[in-house]
Amino acid sequence: MSHFPRFLISLFSLLLCAQPLLAAEELVIFSGRSDKFVKPVVKAFTVETGIKAVLHSGSSTSLLNKLKLEGARTQADIYISNDAGNLQKGSEFKLFKALPESIANVIPANYRAPDNTWLGVSARARVLVVSTKKHDADFVKSVFDLADPRLQGRLGITHSGNESYIAGVTVYMLAAGEEKTRKWLEGMKRNVEGSVFNKHSKIVKAVAAGKKSIGLVNHYYIYRHLAKHPDAAIKIVLPDQDGMGVAWNVAGAAVSQYTKHSDAAEKFMAFLVSDKGQKIFAQANREYPTRPGVPAAPEVPPAGSYKVADVPMARLGEMRNATLDLIESVGMP
Amino acid sequence: MDPRHLPVRLSFRSALALLVALSAAIPLLFVLYNSLQLSHDAWMRLWSSRLPGLLWNTLSLALLVGVGAMLLGVSAAWWVSRRDFAGRRLAVWLMILPLTIPTYVFAHIYTSLLETDGWLGRLWHLLFPDTPIPELYNIAGVTFVLTLASFSYVFLLVRDALSRSQKDLDEAARIHGATPSQVFWKINLPLLRPAIAAGLALVVLHVLSDFGAVSMLRFQTFTLSIYLQMSGRFDYQSAAGLSMVLVSLSLTFLVLERFFRNRQRYYGGAQSRRFEAPPATGFETLMIWLWLGLITLFAFFLPLAWMLHWSWQAWEDDLISEEFWGYVGNSLSVSVMAASITIFVALPVALYHARAHNRLSQLYLHVSSVGFVLPGPVIALGILAFVLAQMPMIYGGLAVLVMAMVVRFLPLAIQAQEAAVQQLTPSIEQASRSLGAGTFENLRRIILPMLSSGMISAWVLVFIDTLKELPATLILRPTGFDTLPVRIWIEASEEMLELAAPAALMLVIGTLPVLWLMMRPERAKRA
Repeated sequence: MSHFPRFLISLFSLLLCAQPLLAAEELVIFSGRSDKFVKPVVKAFTVETGIKAVLHSGSSTSLLNKLKLEGARTQADIYISNDAGNLQKGSEFKLFKALPESIANVIPANYRAPDNTWLGVSARARVLVVSTKKHDADFVKSVFDLADPRLQGRLGITHSGNESYIAGVTVYMLAAGEEKTRKWLEGMKRNVEGSVFNKHSKIVKAVAAGKKSIGLVNHYYIYRHLAKHPDAAIKIVLPDQDGMGVAWNVAGAAVSQYTKHSDAAEKFMAFLVSDKGQKIFAQANREYPTRPGVPAAPEVPPAGSYKVADVPMARLGEMRNATLDLIESVGMP
Repeated sequence: MDPRHLPVRLSFRSALALLVALSAAIPLLFVLYNSLQLSHDAWMRLWSSRLPGLLWNTLSLALLVGVGAMLLGVSAAWWVSRRDFAGRRLAVWLMILPLTIPTYVFAHIYTSLLETDGWLGRLWHLLFPDTPIPELYNIAGVTFVLTLASFSYVFLLVRDALSRSQKDLDEAARIHGATPSQVFWKINLPLLRPAIAAGLALVVLHVLSDFGAVSMLRFQTFTLSIYLQMSGRFDYQSAAGLSMVLVSLSLTFLVLERFFRNRQRYYGGAQSRRFEAPPATGFETLMIWLWLGLITLFAFFLPLAWMLHWSWQAWEDDLISEEFWGYVGNSLSVSVMAASITIFVALPVALYHARAHNRLSQLYLHVSSVGFVLPGPVIALGILAFVLAQMPMIYGGLAVLVMAMVVRFLPLAIQAQEAAVQQLTPSIEQASRSLGAGTFENLRRIILPMLSSGMISAWVLVFIDTLKELPATLILRPTGFDTLPVRIWIEASEEMLELAAPAALMLVIGTLPVLWLMMRPERAKRA
């Protein structure tokens, strides 16, 4: 028992020495995007520039919270989010540094911050996955048709905490107004009968199995499923909402206001929007590169072959609380 | 001499206990500070829109899980310690193994098992082709998951109490003509009450602060709602307001539990004989194993089979990289550090309360429990804010993470130690003091050795919970420092089952040696 104090002292000193040993020139990336989609792009960046990077993954939202609380003490140089809402929130909190126009202007204005504090790097479309066996959902042409009572028990949606779901609701609210959106949510709430999915991939699976006839998902989940099960009885429907166009959301990146590696961080951003970076970043997840002229994965409907709702992605952040209020007041599960 | 009349020693212990309580209160102060910024209108809005539903959900869940855990835990503990049957030692192991599986892994596994093409889903279709597969996204599902994940706490504490109980009382009652069932209700159960209460307290506190299962199953309790408020809307004030309500709720519960526990203390004589379990009849053995087997099937074997299946898949596809062993190392080192520090930090509070047993000691106890009743993300933010403001030089290191774990799991250690301290008959300590031993000598030569089993249990409980901890680790881990739960969470949120499974399996494997450590002293004692 007598060596307890010594044991304790050595433990504590071990603790205090255990500061993270980050090399001076390593870029720290806070990433809210899945590891396996970010790693290839980071690797390619290191190969091209010789700059090493440490990946710190988490959910986009909690990492933004962390950035906000840490303020000037943050070790992050880059923040990557799966959702434009978080990026715009970060801009509002003044957490990001404006990027030089030479890097930012490559991306169309709708897909970046008005003040260039963040850039959308890849885009996903909010689409419908429809069963090719059950035909009770064939009448659906617009997301607003999902409120139709004919779909009672046949509709699959995610829970209302999902970032893509919230972003979609924001786009429809901005384009069609709050009242129409509220009616729509209420109708969907009736149709799902209290049972929602916690993953988009499970919706696609349920539609493929005939358990549901139709679901509201991001486009790449459909192709991810088709890659594994090429004969799955599902198809994609791009909901146009009478000329409004398909809702898009972007994943993007920003440079921390407090980075000590500005040059390396800007190089990383420049790499993300380069032809090569765009291809790796977007195609890893079958998304649309935001830089015009870079093609998406061959299986997805090409960008430009359908209309995209004309909503600047920055609005997704500005309107997020209003959207959450609406979703909560309807009581969506 | 009653130790209550030793003012000098008390004040020293009291000072140490105060220090511990103060550090444990850091997250609470953060919550208090933030909730004080909440305007009256905002409170009213919270009260009218959110609170009734949250209170109902949280309380009914705690009640249901409490009942479920008591049913499984007490029945299993009773059979295991009161009948000698084939495979009894194995049975003990089977009942505590579920502790190695985190709630979010349980939730994740059972949702996949119950899918149309999952094992249970297919079985269900075979058995009941016309009824839809039951869903877990409701209170029944969450109760199911949390009961399986937490009944072992009741089992452990009740079995511990039963193994210490002495046969004198039972025999005395039987001699006076009591039937076996009367002995159970009038003698055994009242004596077990502190253990049951302590076990239930652990279970209910786990339920109140659980984040993993409720967030995976989308069941709106306080923790989930606080998290959504905080991270989705950056609304720390409302989150703090909700946390305050949760804290008051948990503290009320703790005070009640203490109240029922305090009314009764029983010190056994030094020379009493242990209870020898009579051998079970063949029929009894069958019934016992049917019951225990059913519990184990759902609480351990099915999840284990799932983990093995997907880990094998990962192994075959060569998905387990060198980095994986790094995550294992990270998890182990944080858990060992947190557990070792926590048991010593907890000691002053447990000792002070067990001996002084006054209002002040109760207050320290309750304040130290705060770490357990606040949701993990809130604790993490509280510590983060404190460290950034007061000792920024340690920020970003492992120390912050370990500190959060210590604060978070301090109550576990105190609970486990206190149970042991209560067994420490005051007369022994008094004898040592009358022979001239000072405070430290007394501590070193009498208290620590006598508490060693309690200390080991405390260490193991904290180790296991730190190993499984997710929400605070997600926020406070050093940059690029991934633990197994963090990996499980990252892979599971991407539906990469074959990557989440090996990490979950490693959690189980990593916990086995420490569980063995906890079970060992008793075997030595019995031998």
